[in-house]
Amino acid sequence: MAAKGRIVWVSGPAVRADGMSDAKMYETVVVGNSKLVGEVIRLTGDVAFIQVYESTSGLKPGEPVVGTGNPLSVLLGPGIIGQIYDGIQRPLKELSKVSGSFIGRGITTTPVDMEKKYHFVPSISNGDDVGPGNVLGTVQETDLIVHSIMVPPDHPGGKISNIVSEGDYNLETVLATAEKDGQKTPLKMYHRWPVRKPRPYQNRYDPTVPLLTGQRVIDTFFPIAKGGTGSIPGAFGTGKTVTLHQIAKWADSQVVVYIGCGERGNEMTEVLVEFPHLKDPRSGKPLMDRTVLVANTSNMPVAAREASIYTGVTIAEYYRDMGYDVVLVADSTSRWAESLREMSGRLEEMPAEEGYPSYLASRLAEFYERAGRVRAVGSPDRDGSVTLVGAVSPSGGDFTEPVTTHTMRFIKTFWALDAKLAYSRHYPSINWMNSYSGYLGDIAKWWTENINSDWLSLRSEAYGVLQREDTLKEIVRLLGPEALPDEEKLILEVARMVKIGLLQQNSFDDVDTYCSPQKQYKLLKLLVEFYRRGQHALKEGASLSDIRALPIVTLLLKARMDIKDSEIPKLDQLDIDMKEQFKSIIGVKVSN
Amino acid sequence: MTKSIDKILEKTEKGILLDLENSFSNTKHTLDDSTPKLEQEYDKIISDSKKEAVKIEKQIIGSSDLEARNSQLLLLEKSIDQVFTTALDKISNVERNADYANLIKNLLDESTKILGTTKVIISTNSKDKDLVQSALSKYPDAELSSEPITCIGGIVVKSKDGAMKFDNTLDARIQRLKPLIRKEIATKFGVGN
Amino acid sequence: MTAEGGVQYSKIAEIKGPLVVVDDVENAAFDELVEIETKEGERRLGKVLEVGNGKAIVQVFEGTTGLSISGTSAKFVGKLMEMPVSKEVLGRVFDGLGRPKDGLPDPIADKFIDINGEPMNPEQREYPKDFIQTGVSVIDGMITLVRGQKLPIFSGSGMSHNILAAQIARQASVVGTKDDFAVVFAAIGVQYSEAEYFRRSLEESGALKRSVLFLNTADDPAIERIITPRVALTVAEYLAFDLGMHVLVILTDMTNYAEALREISAAREEVPGRKGYPGYLYTDLSTIYERAGKLNGRKGSVTQVPILSMPSDDITHPIPDLTGYITEGQVVLGRDLFRQGVYPPINILMSLSRLMKDGIGEGSTRVDHGEVSNQVYDAYSRAQEVRALAGIVGKAGLTEIDLKYMDVGDIFEKEFLSQATDENRTIEETLTLLWKIVSKLPKNEITKIKDKYIDQYYQEN
Repeated sequence: MAAKGRIVWVSGPAVRADGMSDAKMYETVVVGNSKLVGEVIRLTGDVAFIQVYESTSGLKPGEPVVGTGNPLSVLLGPGIIGQIYDGIQRPLKELSKVSGSFIGRGITTTPVDMEKKYHFVPSISNGDDVGPGNVLGTVQETDLIVHSIMVPPDHPGGKISNIVSEGDYNLETVLATAEKDGQKTPLKMYHRWPVRKPRPYQNRYDPTVPLLTGQRVIDTFFPIAKGGTGSIPGAFGTGKTVTLHQIAKWADSQVVVYIGCGERGNEMTEVLVEFPHLKDPRSGKPLMDRTVLVANTSNMPVAAREASIYTGVTIAEYYRDMGYDVVLVADSTSRWAESLREMSGRLEEMPAEEGYPSYLASRLAEFYERAGRVRAVGSPDRDGSVTLVGAVSPSGGDFTEPVTTHTMRFIKTFWALDAKLAYSRHYPSINWMNSYSGYLGDIAKWWTENINSDWLSLRSEAYGVLQREDTLKEIVRLLGPEALPDEEKLILEVARMVKIGLLQQNSFDDVDTYCSPQKQYKLLKLLVEFYRRGQHALKEGASLSDIRALPIVTLLLKARMDIKDSEIPKLDQLDIDMKEQFKSIIGVKVSN
Repeated sequence: MTKSIDKILEKTEKGILLDLENSFSNTKHTLDDSTPKLEQEYDKIISDSKKEAVKIEKQIIGSSDLEARNSQLLLLEKSIDQVFTTALDKISNVERNADYANLIKNLLDESTKILGTTKVIISTNSKDKDLVQSALSKYPDAELSSEPITCIGGIVVKSKDGAMKFDNTLDARIQRLKPLIRKEIATKFGVGN
Repeated sequence: MTAEGGVQYSKIAEIKGPLVVVDDVENAAFDELVEIETKEGERRLGKVLEVGNGKAIVQVFEGTTGLSISGTSAKFVGKLMEMPVSKEVLGRVFDGLGRPKDGLPDPIADKFIDINGEPMNPEQREYPKDFIQTGVSVIDGMITLVRGQKLPIFSGSGMSHNILAAQIARQASVVGTKDDFAVVFAAIGVQYSEAEYFRRSLEESGALKRSVLFLNTADDPAIERIITPRVALTVAEYLAFDLGMHVLVILTDMTNYAEALREISAAREEVPGRKGYPGYLYTDLSTIYERAGKLNGRKGSVTQVPILSMPSDDITHPIPDLTGYITEGQVVLGRDLFRQGVYPPINILMSLSRLMKDGIGEGSTRVDHGEVSNQVYDAYSRAQEVRALAGIVGKAGLTEIDLKYMDVGDIFEKEFLSQATDENRTIEETLTLLWKIVSKLPKNEITKIKDKYIDQYYQEN
């Protein structure tokens, strides 16, 4: 029986209602005369504490609260891809049809068009026995996505009857009926799933395949694996959002879920404007055909911001269950944590560090635990993954604040953005000394099998140069560069070249914005070769100024922009030219 | 000796002449050089004062536009006030007939409903006292205050514990509607939309 | 809420800080407007922060000084706080709550709008990409402002932020489309002289008649500052989206706003976040800053230039920090440059315009704009490193190329950055100056510009 109560107290997004003894924890309720959406987050006696997902301005004690009997859920079915939702899966486009340019309240819509017809191709027959997760058939959702229609994971399954033949059906059509223990249940193109409950899977695998993002500092230096977890913390102005956008654009996953959680409105607009025009480098289709946006911008109701993370990750798991690799980008988990803090404050809970609730760490852990590469439930066999990338916005750029420190415990790749690098316009401003990746060993095999076996050693050698430079910089700061011997000055020079020619990447340059693994490898190899040859030349008597003056230096620095992914042989030519030029300076010394 | 003196003189003279010549040519040079500079300076002065003139012009036009607009606003407000005064006069002198008695009854119903109690004290002006008294027959818990208040009509309703008060005089009602009435009047004057 | 509204409650339970707690309240809504009446008949405005169980907590904008438990009453007006708007608000001066301050009558309202506004639907936003020429080289060239952007000025006490903001307001108005342009200026707890400087500056450029001023000066009630930016933005949104104007909103000084918010939070005994500011400071600030933008299918735009003074010039202080996370970049003034007498004293390395990339280039400024400005950033940042190095090893210890970078730093500051307060440079002049700086470097140092632009614009020495 649905609870029916009465508002007794209102303060911002928090509402208390009495007469709610029938309400369940995390049940969705309809609040007030304007029918706002809320969720029960605490029950004391017959008083329910409710967080309301819409603005409560004008709400009065005495107005009704009605339970729906259901937990906060998302609708899962074809039509999700390409949408932009708010934090509780209301399509923003539909909202604008009702309330115009600004977001109104109390509007009910369906997350996808229930009337739209999809061409359903059944893959089972009458009489087949199906269980939870079984694929019933497929529909083509977008050019890029074949959408498997699955028996819901919490469905009893049973013997199939009345399956429809191949044809066009809308979402409400009963595609088949399953019968178990005399109970008949209909199966449709969609089902609902509670957002706070992870979707089940059969098996979990170790993440061993890199998620290629086309960003050199990520793929080459601090890679993330499919099904892995990563975090990007950075003060404002360090290019966090640009880096996240780059991952969303170029990552080699089939589905991208982008959550704008308490961030800028124009950033979501940018994605909406840009993605339909950008082509996926692998399929050539518009990026929007694989992207779902969840936008709960900073000025939208704070409780829905808390929900947006769960809405997003549940959608990601759903596509994972079809066998897709999904990347979920959450910008920013700090704003999500702040919404927890705000609700916790209104609940008058005992605060932990900086006012955050004591369960902040466990909530973060639960969220990142929903990443993984898995074998889905039901037949046929499907392997998919959810990779979670969360931005962190540490206050004052201070990485010792609670959200950053807790996040670091639950993620394996850490891309530390650095304001100093950003101020010198080194983008992406990922600091190579403070960042790390726990997947390096796991994914080296992939590089060996697909690109070259010396990838890991080249990467170590280049990284070694950067580490050496970091210590030498201290000496330079005290004594000036002239105090160093040529061998060490060469390290400074090569480090500079690695920074400009490899680590830096211009996301606004048509060529440089995406870099294939082949090109990444060649650029890395060229720079390491330059270092080796430079060392050799110094031994042979050449001077550092000779090396610096080589015309190849500028070419190596500009190669990332000048040479396209389709022109890899040009990079091989650079290697030949470099060899010749080094020969010439050694020759000069010898003839002298 | 004299020769050498002459020579020295001659030399000096030559030197002086040369110096003179040099300085003349230098001066000429400087003058030539400075002409464009002077012209530039001249142009700059002219252009600066032109800029200044444009600025002042803008300022004058801007502020006179504004002044004209503002005096129009004041004039309009004066007219609105006049309409108001006339209207209020009319209302306060309206005949206390059956319609008016009905109005008082409605005001009373509304006020007790909003306050959520009938245990109230009603105040009104001396003119409406009797009308209110007779309307109170429906509300045994309510009583009429002996102190009359100044208003053009209507009532003020107070809960007996003194915690709540609802001003339902015609004055207060008009006051609440004033912004809308002003707009109405302004439109009649052909101002606004 | 009832249209009649207006029950007056006189059981005051508690008065603390800016808050009044009213007992036995039967009929009040969250966020509702409240009229407080003192014993003496003086009226003050407030709004409901919390309501329930027979109690309402009311925040009084004009402060609680002089209020007493007995004799004070609170009238719940039955509506949210609204601002009357019409075209006639242009050329007007209001106080911090939106009431006339210029001796003229209330505006005859075309509409009454809830001052809190509603969040723009991100799906309905139009991505800002129209270049605004401010005539200030360093902004146009390197921190480009676009229509619908929110770009704050981070300043410190005593620096020239108001002069800069006034120059932007004056000069930005003259270039661009034929669409109407308007300036909305909100003074939030600033000194009278600063507000007056701004008013005079608008008057002198003839812009006053298309400006709206909201003045809450230092001696006005502090809590009123919560409202000032909101009424200002309500008017701005009306001018932009109802009347199709391009509106530049200047909010100065947002630090005073945040302090008022802290005062209320402290009075409510909320658990504080950093430095005593409430945990919801970010969300609250965003409800102001996010009111900048453009909308699909509507002509106008709201561009915001909020100004805030960083307490002890500390950019990691919560106010600039949270602001920077919301706004689309920041213009940071540098104390060093200011001391050297440079105007505008903008620290370019810490400044940024996120929307610049979309507002410049072919079709709006010039195709080489992005690359040349990147190169100049890079060069100036190198120049700073070299200067630091020179401080240790002396000029003699520098290489030839280092010395070139020193030159670049000097030219950048003396010729490009420095500008008179009434000097209005075109974008072409600005780009020429940028190339002049780049041309001080040998070509092989230029790594961020494509060769074809170098061939076209590099000035051989």
